[in-house]
Amino acid sequence: MRRFLGIFIIFFALHAHAEYELGNGIQVGSLPLYLGGYFSLNYENRADVKKYSIDDLSMLGYGTYEKFSYMAEFEFHDLYSETSVGDISTIKRDTQLHTERVYFDYSYNENYTLRVGRYNSSIGIWNLLPINVLRQTTSNPKTQNLFPNFTTGADLTYASFDDNELKINLMLENNKDIDPTYDNYNIDKLYGLGVSYEKDEYSLKVNTGYFHTTNSFDSNLYYFLISGKYDTEMYEFSSEIGRQESKNKTTIPYTAYIQGLYRFTPKHTAILRLETYDDKLKDKTDSFSVIGYSYRPSYPIALKSEYQFHTLNKDNQFLFSISVLF
Amino acid sequence: MKLIFIILLLSQFAFGHEYVVVANKHMEDLSPSQIRAIFLKRLLFIGDMKAVPLNLDARDPLREKFEQHILEISFDRLQSYWTKEHYLGHRPPISLKSQESVKAFVKKVDGSIGYINIDSMDDSLKILYRWSE
Repeated sequence: MRRFLGIFIIFFALHAHAEYELGNGIQVGSLPLYLGGYFSLNYENRADVKKYSIDDLSMLGYGTYEKFSYMAEFEFHDLYSETSVGDISTIKRDTQLHTERVYFDYSYNENYTLRVGRYNSSIGIWNLLPINVLRQTTSNPKTQNLFPNFTTGADLTYASFDDNELKINLMLENNKDIDPTYDNYNIDKLYGLGVSYEKDEYSLKVNTGYFHTTNSFDSNLYYFLISGKYDTEMYEFSSEIGRQESKNKTTIPYTAYIQGLYRFTPKHTAILRLETYDDKLKDKTDSFSVIGYSYRPSYPIALKSEYQFHTLNKDNQFLFSISVLF
Repeated sequence: MKLIFIILLLSQFAFGHEYVVVANKHMEDLSPSQIRAIFLKRLLFIGDMKAVPLNLDARDPLREKFEQHILEISFDRLQSYWTKEHYLGHRPPISLKSQESVKAFVKKVDGSIGYINIDSMDDSLKILYRWSE
């Protein structure tokens, strides 16, 4: 682990020059290789539980050559965490290096792109930019539980640009995950379809699909998700609503959120998110609100705090994080 | 002579400066939305041809005008956009130092697109879009 980190830091230091800007990565010589990364430090306070953690420490490399491009991202997740319950404190270290994303893209022409490898499942709007520093709150909405957040396989996308943007994508997985220990579902099959439409400040997306899990009682699951967003200089409203079923029963009858965001200035943002869900797999029903505030001295640095008010009072919690993309 | 000078002066005030988005003659016609998508790297190819958007230097006033008029996005939002794109593996357009460099690049490389002052136009370039301020 230390050797891997050391090589990455040496590369980054050698090739960073005076014009380097935080959040833009660096190019290695004149090669089609850019390096970057991010980290996140989190604090959670719920009931009598307090947790400090280095949540993410990630390194990424990518590049483009003619019609080909690639992305590789490796991550330490929960590298260090200290949890206190009452007077008892436990420390955990997870030094396993996970493969978050490894894929190649081939752009056939302006309309068709084929992606092969492990990638963020192109489902909904939240899962496309899932890392702490780029999302609006430290916590993720529960709609993320509807589907596998990563797919190892192929993704064929058709895109059409005119006064609006139409995208249709087909996701296919029929093999083991490259890193089965690092996903919210351990899957070996996924067939998904997504259609998105964007015009001016508005976007709408519909996703549906099937996946087969290897580690849960209901192994054949179907998801359905509708997402919408309205985004301007000062305001952003987004919402997702979805459902998950198995062959025999409804596993998640509903999960939904609506989020409003107000940018006082480019550095200061207030967020309000209202969420509700009924998860039969976890046997849990809840409705809650998230009130958050984020301060970005520059965009790639985020200091975020939030408080969650749950109908299940024991789940009320305060979250704070510092995250940086470099 | 005085009258012509006054008319020219007034027309300058009335119509302001004119700017153009240009490519070489092999480029097909593009809509403002397609130009926007190319400069945001959402549209990477035009047909089978790789699109190569060309920016002027970050401090160039014409770049600011282009970003406000065509991209319709503020400087801060554009910075945050490219930070997100870095995570997705996309780079911002390359920057050239002068309009002369943009012209030279566009003439040589099919698929490249830049913006210049209309006074710098010549017959070897194709106008894709024109605007005035």
